Amino acid sequence: MNHRLNRFSILFMLAGGLVLLFVIAPLVGLFLQTSGVSIVKTLHDHEVTHSILLTLTTAMGATLIFSLGIIPLAWLMAHHQFRGKRIIHGLIDLPVVIPHTAAGIALLSVFSDHSLLGSGASFLGLSFVGTSAGIVIAMAFVSLPFLFNAARDSFESVDKRLEHAAMNLGASQMQTFFRVSLPLAKNGIISGMIMMFARGMSEFGAVVIIAYYPMITPVMIFDRFASFGLEASRPIALIFIVIALAVFVLIRLITRKSFAVR
Amino acid sequence: MLYVKNLNLQAGDFKVPDTSFDVKKGEYYFLLGESGSGKSLILEAIAGIQKIKSGEVWVNNLNITHLPMHQRRVGLVFQSLALFPHLTVMDNMAFPLQRRGIKWPQVEKEVVQMAQRLSIAHVLKRKPGTLSGGEHQRVALARTLIMKPDMLLLDEPLSSLDILLKEEMVELLRELHQQGQTILHVTHDYRVVGSLANRISIIQKGLVLQTGTPQEIASNPKCKLASRLVV
Repeated sequence: MNHRLNRFSILFMLAGGLVLLFVIAPLVGLFLQTSGVSIVKTLHDHEVTHSILLTLTTAMGATLIFSLGIIPLAWLMAHHQFRGKRIIHGLIDLPVVIPHTAAGIALLSVFSDHSLLGSGASFLGLSFVGTSAGIVIAMAFVSLPFLFNAARDSFESVDKRLEHAAMNLGASQMQTFFRVSLPLAKNGIISGMIMMFARGMSEFGAVVIIAYYPMITPVMIFDRFASFGLEASRPIALIFIVIALAVFVLIRLITRKSFAVR
Repeated sequence: MLYVKNLNLQAGDFKVPDTSFDVKKGEYYFLLGESGSGKSLILEAIAGIQKIKSGEVWVNNLNITHLPMHQRRVGLVFQSLALFPHLTVMDNMAFPLQRRGIKWPQVEKEVVQMAQRLSIAHVLKRKPGTLSGGEHQRVALARTLIMKPDMLLLDEPLSSLDILLKEEMVELLRELHQQGQTILHVTHDYRVVGSLANRISIIQKGLVLQTGTPQEIASNPKCKLASRLVV
């Protein structure tokens, strides 16, 4: 391939560079405008640290709990042709296209203590409004398409002959799933889980409707901004971005090391 | 041993209409046909991969037509070999034994014995991606043989091998047959058939045109492919 720069390449590099700048500039601006003192002070604010911990654990909970249903559904969609399959695809992708505040309202109509499901759950001592459980379902609702689509694509890419070979060698469908399909699709599934976790962690719209309190960090950033202004919210935003990036990179590193294709 | 009775299959527009044949215990039986003749489809139907429209498949006086794939005890060596890329050769070969709940020391013993028998003991710790064509072939065969199938189904197992490896594999298959293994072998390669087969069925467009010993078919060929048979 010829790597010499011509007008075409320069034009595309300029256009692409502008987009990169558009992403990087606000982050750099945030770093430059936040003082070290305010960061240290914020790090000692228990409300902030508790909020960050709550955000990470609820996002992780949403990913792990819902993956138990999403992964089997993705396998079914990758392996079977049936009437209404496209409708299910559309339904799963719905949270991506609807406003997340609207998603929050929709969730509230099903999970509030006055709804059928919500009242049933509260009878069992589980409430979704203003609780961590509510945060988990709101995060899961808006982020599950990321895991579903990645898992379905990964299952589709597994050579069907390998699954047939496993069954011919005496493996039941369940054994074939756990010994062949899942290990071969795991890289895509883990990527999907990371994306679901990251998307859940950054959710604001749906969560703020169903559970303003306890406050996850995106809600806290908004709350401090609305109540005390930019100066109060900026250090929290900066710390959250750094932690989110660190967690993201850490998970990538761990999974790449443990699940590298050999 | 194997009885395929009035088998009707359909895959897209292609049909296998009303095919019947039987393979006796200890026999080396060939389904010989050109590409697209439906012979692999028949093999997949016997293994339970291909859905049967009508007809029956019997193995050892047991009707297996509607049995799930993993309960059929017919070992299929796929044309693509289908070795599990994420498992070592050892784990690939251990796979069918572990599925039957056999404990590891016994599994390991049987795997090593089979690997020695097929001269692949030196690759047991390797992943399939690092094997040569011949080693690949032997591992796939070993993995199927270790489950002691009632019937060994071979789907074009020699097609991707060079001439030397092909000769080596032909000898190995002859040896297996001499040890009593019943084999149903699907191929388009008329050159390998004559020296191995007890009986042959010539397949064209899903229909059995002619069945007989290599000598019977060579002396009275009913199609171009049959006339090329080397006995």
